[in-house]
Amino acid sequence: MDNISPLIQFFLNQGLNLDTIILLLLFPVVATIVVILRQIVGIKAFGIYTPSIITLAFVFIAKDNFWDIKYAIAIYAIVLFVGMAMRYVLKKLRLLYLPRVAINLTVVSFSVLFTLVLAGYFGRTGFASTAIFPILVIIMLVEKFVTVQIEKGNRTAIILAIETLVIALIGYTVLSPTTPIGEYTIGFTLAHPVALLLIIPINIFIGKWTGLRLNEYFRFHDVINKIK
Amino acid sequence: MFESIRASKNILGMNARNLTYIRPHNLKKSKRLADNKIRSKHMLKKAGVPVPRLIAQISSRRTLESFDWNILPPSFVIKPNKGLGGDGIIVIYGRKRGTDDVWIKSNGKTITLNDLKIHIGHILDGEYSLSNTPDIAFFEERLKLSKEFRPYAYKGIPDIRIIIYNKVPVMAMLRLPTKESGGKANLQQGGIGVGIDMARGTTTTAVQGKSKIIEYVPDTRLLLSGIKIPYWNEILTLAIKAQDASGLGFLGADIAIDRDDGPVFLELNARPGLSIQVANMAGLKRRLERVEGLKIKSAIRGASVGKNLFGGEIEEEVEGMSGKRVIGAVEDIQIIGKNDVKITTQAKVDTGAHSTSIDNELARMLGFGHVIDTFGKINLSQYDITPKNEADIKKDIITKYKKSIPDLDDVAIVFASSGSSVRPVIKIKFIMDNRTIIAQVNIIDRSDMKYDIIIGKKNLSRFLVDVSK
Repeated sequence: MDNISPLIQFFLNQGLNLDTIILLLLFPVVATIVVILRQIVGIKAFGIYTPSIITLAFVFIAKDNFWDIKYAIAIYAIVLFVGMAMRYVLKKLRLLYLPRVAINLTVVSFSVLFTLVLAGYFGRTGFASTAIFPILVIIMLVEKFVTVQIEKGNRTAIILAIETLVIALIGYTVLSPTTPIGEYTIGFTLAHPVALLLIIPINIFIGKWTGLRLNEYFRFHDVINKIK
Repeated sequence: MFESIRASKNILGMNARNLTYIRPHNLKKSKRLADNKIRSKHMLKKAGVPVPRLIAQISSRRTLESFDWNILPPSFVIKPNKGLGGDGIIVIYGRKRGTDDVWIKSNGKTITLNDLKIHIGHILDGEYSLSNTPDIAFFEERLKLSKEFRPYAYKGIPDIRIIIYNKVPVMAMLRLPTKESGGKANLQQGGIGVGIDMARGTTTTAVQGKSKIIEYVPDTRLLLSGIKIPYWNEILTLAIKAQDASGLGFLGADIAIDRDDGPVFLELNARPGLSIQVANMAGLKRRLERVEGLKIKSAIRGASVGKNLFGGEIEEEVEGMSGKRVIGAVEDIQIIGKNDVKITTQAKVDTGAHSTSIDNELARMLGFGHVIDTFGKINLSQYDITPKNEADIKKDIITKYKKSIPDLDDVAIVFASSGSSVRPVIKIKFIMDNRTIIAQVNIIDRSDMKYDIIIGKKNLSRFLVDVSK
């Protein structure tokens, strides 16, 4: 961090935490990455909030060591697997929606707790000491997942969950201080925070863009061949 | 590569659909109407569009508890008022024999009154509604499968999706329920979408699910192309009327055909899917652009504009312009001979021949045996067969033999490098491509030829020949 803009320096002098500044500045970048992947590439995921917040959770969990990302992925997988399995168990009980989701969240939380304890027992202290708020953020994915499962079926829910994971990993690569690209992004942001204002024209451009998404070239491949 | 990019400009993608078509043309008010099935039903009915009859509705747990189940007919459908993609719908075929609180569902399984109440409870809680807001459950009459679609549908009712824009039907597909889709006609759930030729109302190409191109109904030899949609014009005008009444500028109209009542409007769709392009093997974007800004006065006018602009093949256009039918080089024809003998055979369409010729054997089967026999006995060597004498020879033979061969209509003299021949000419009727032609045909031995009849120029004036056909 040899090159810090006077603006950031001013923020720091007011007593703000550097992590806070970085996360708040990067949040719009995360959101824009999600937008590009959605509107131009065609990766859907669970809206914009969920992949953004999960990306930040991933960045946070692995902020000191690049390979800590495996813990984040493990927690993500456990949450989804248990959440999905619980839906089948709870279906038979015929409960109202909210109590059912609450039970689901309880079991998911206990499963994560159990996993962390197990990891600690086997000497995986890195895993066991994962910060709690990112974990809670990932657990809240269950509600989103169950909703999609009910409305659009298992297949769609799993595809969207995988897409969300892909977006979070791409976001992680671009933003985490433990990756070379992320190091550059953060360095650039701290040096030129005003450049982040570019995010608005970029989103205006994407917001008006009516071209085909990348995945639609594949989806309509046969039609395109037929027409030409 | 370059061509692909240009071709892809015909395709309507998600971004363009949302930004260019749904946003400016489907206003919030209309979208809310489309998402509310009961309100749509009332509105469409008022506008003179037939809809499935509403039997009853349940809007709270209190009414659910006090609901009189005996008012229901033997078969009915339960739907969530704000349901999405066909979820939460239960189709009841009838009461189980000897019980009064057990019903049989469309998949053959039974469901008890208690289970039904729980399901309706879920609907009321908003489990199936958009964004899980509390909902209303309603009962409507169950549509019956029309016989035209019986072989194609798996446990459910096929429906017809039509994209209407600016009062013009732009693209259409027939949606068939399959085993994978669990009897629902939804493409996302594995249903089949079959493209429809707008002008003729017959099916063309098909897709199953999101992008799998298929030709036959799965596990059968039933071809998906060429299915004629009954009531096609009526369906198009219904869809346009529904657009007009709903205020949805860019509408996906779902219409089913009931066995007894004919076309019935099922659902207004404010965000129609894009797979219809795969089913039709055609792009929506260019079509929508062509309709932009047209001033359409009536539903009938709109339907005919859609049919003219987006009706399939060039063939139809050529026929429309010239009034002539397009036929191939070989055609199946039906010949009608004496005493109404009907024979179906393949004919060679030969634009190089002046007149139509038929083989000896075929002529005999048609009942002209005596013409061949008697004509064969004429001593032709007495004539000097040259073009100069043609008229005289004809006249001579006809006057001499008219009495003994009443079916002899004329005599043909064919001059060829291999030798000239004098042939008897008879009058027959044949039907080719649905048109009846009365023709003078000469009889000759064609036993060495592949086709036992060739049709010559004289009888082709009402047709155009496409040699690639």
